[in-house]
Amino acid sequence: MPEDTRSAFEGGEDTSQERIESATNVVLAVAALGLLAGALFGLISPRYLVFLVSLAGMYALLSLGLNVQWGYAGLINFSVAAFFGLGAYVPVLLSASGSPITDALPPIAGLFVAVVVTVLLALAIGIPTLSLREDYLAIASLGLAEVVRLVVRNQENWTGGTGGLGGIPLFFEGVPVLGTLARDIGTVDVGFYTLGFQFWNSLLNAALVGAFVLGSYLVLRRMHRSPWGRVLRTIRSDEDLAEALGKNTYAFRMQAFVLGSVVAMLAGVYYAYSNYYLTPDIFDPIYTFYAWIAVILGGSGSNRGALFGGVVIVTIVEGTRSLGIGASWRLFAVGLLIVLVMRFRPQGVLPPRDELIWPSARGGEADE
Amino acid sequence: MSERDTEPTSERDAVLRTENLRKKFGGLTAADDVTVEVERGTITGMIGPNGAGKSTFFNLVSGFYQPDGGTVVVNDTETTVMEPHEVTEHGLVRTFQTPRKLEGMTVREAMLIGPQNQLGESVVPLFTQPAAVGDEERANLERAEELLGRFEIDHLADQPATDISGGQLKLVELARAMLAEPDLLLLDEPVAGVNPTLANKLADIIEELNDDGITFLIIEHDMGFIMDLADPIVVLNQGAVLMEGTPAEVRSDDRVVEAYLGSGGGA
Repeated sequence: MPEDTRSAFEGGEDTSQERIESATNVVLAVAALGLLAGALFGLISPRYLVFLVSLAGMYALLSLGLNVQWGYAGLINFSVAAFFGLGAYVPVLLSASGSPITDALPPIAGLFVAVVVTVLLALAIGIPTLSLREDYLAIASLGLAEVVRLVVRNQENWTGGTGGLGGIPLFFEGVPVLGTLARDIGTVDVGFYTLGFQFWNSLLNAALVGAFVLGSYLVLRRMHRSPWGRVLRTIRSDEDLAEALGKNTYAFRMQAFVLGSVVAMLAGVYYAYSNYYLTPDIFDPIYTFYAWIAVILGGSGSNRGALFGGVVIVTIVEGTRSLGIGASWRLFAVGLLIVLVMRFRPQGVLPPRDELIWPSARGGEADE
Repeated sequence: MSERDTEPTSERDAVLRTENLRKKFGGLTAADDVTVEVERGTITGMIGPNGAGKSTFFNLVSGFYQPDGGTVVVNDTETTVMEPHEVTEHGLVRTFQTPRKLEGMTVREAMLIGPQNQLGESVVPLFTQPAAVGDEERANLERAEELLGRFEIDHLADQPATDISGGQLKLVELARAMLAEPDLLLLDEPVAGVNPTLANKLADIIEELNDDGITFLIIEHDMGFIMDLADPIVVLNQGAVLMEGTPAEVRSDDRVVEAYLGSGGGA
């Protein structure tokens, strides 16, 4: 085996890629410093800052999930919002005092039930559609997401219907230490601000979504840089070739679909427990399209790109809101961004690189 | 083999055997009771004019099409209704006439799709046995490098798989197929669009691999190439087996000439 088995995509293939990555890092660092400075000088409340970071994590989860499906395996999935909504609704329906079903379960147990329900729903969509061509999956997934949305809106006795669900507990309710931490800390005066229960609770929720993002990222990165990831990338380019080389493409596509759905579902868990009230708006298809934009913008197949895409979506959504720009202009900005990326950088800002050989086999590198 | 078969089928060590294989597309019969045997250790050629049913035959025996009737047996196992990946597990590997290039991969990475049943293709071992996955990956990398060297394309290893020429891609395909350790390799027009020098190299490699014990079934329109390389040769016409014989027999058979040139020309 040669000493250096790094791919051409990594090295000096194009310095423009390196320049773009450096520029991206600089922009992100300046934005982060700007936000921190804003908080320090009393321009941005710490709670809002934490909320922004959490929201970026939420969108990053949606795009990480879709990236497994589209970026790795080439599955055109338009049902991201359905799984996002499930992640919110399932635990809340089992833990909130306003639930028409029960409030007996702690939210963490609800999370595990949500994982099971997500896997079952993903299998239910995947079984009839994944053996078909990708365009059928696109149509079927879009239709199914609408079915889920309409069921949640109309089955009031199961879901609370359009009235939504209230009485949502804290996510860590019932967990030793964490369950009471936000109250126990009490109020703390820091500079311009008095940080109280709301701030500490937001911080806990940020930690929750941060743990989801970090865990998902590490798991997905390991999976992508493996023979498993390589097969999925082959399926994306040429499914027949993968079959001819003995790969059960249906099983691989199913794994990618289920895994991506579970990651997207985690975003919904954060969403539900960071709000006091949950309505069927979470099933709105716009979340699916935000996830698509994040993945395309970041670079299909790139986990780093998916994280970056999540940050950009928050910048657009919250940035336009802060500037008082209306929702229609927000969508216009998103559309314009997609056109510009497709025209000038179709591979995305941070396309995947050197991720298809198991790290320990790569000439002694151990950079998992 | 068809009515001209010279040996009783049961006495031959056939790596692939089809009996009365049928496939219709609407009113078109693409495979019409095709009975063929590919004897182990041979380089068998398959020729016929456009539309004769050669690629349909490949798709039927490799599991990409389900036949309307008949049977396919690979290495003594009936594979008639199996999925392509299951057929591959029984030792039959195929290439495609117009292979698509794998995006976002180097040639080396594209090669590593070849080995069968890799531990790291399952999710759980990636987390429970990372060292074993690494060991297997290293071993596969070594085999890939060795094959790239043998095929004299090791200089392409770090190239993006989308950047190599059509001829080089054919060599990569063949090298990758070897990583799957096939008993029978089906090559669909391996020298279409390949320059004569590279075609000669490909022929040498195929003969070498055949000496190593790989059986080949090759569809090819380049008559010089296939007549020099293969024996026996199966001729298909209009979905049916027209004849099987040595290259000399095929060359001198009037029906073959007629099938290629049309009956009107010679009559």
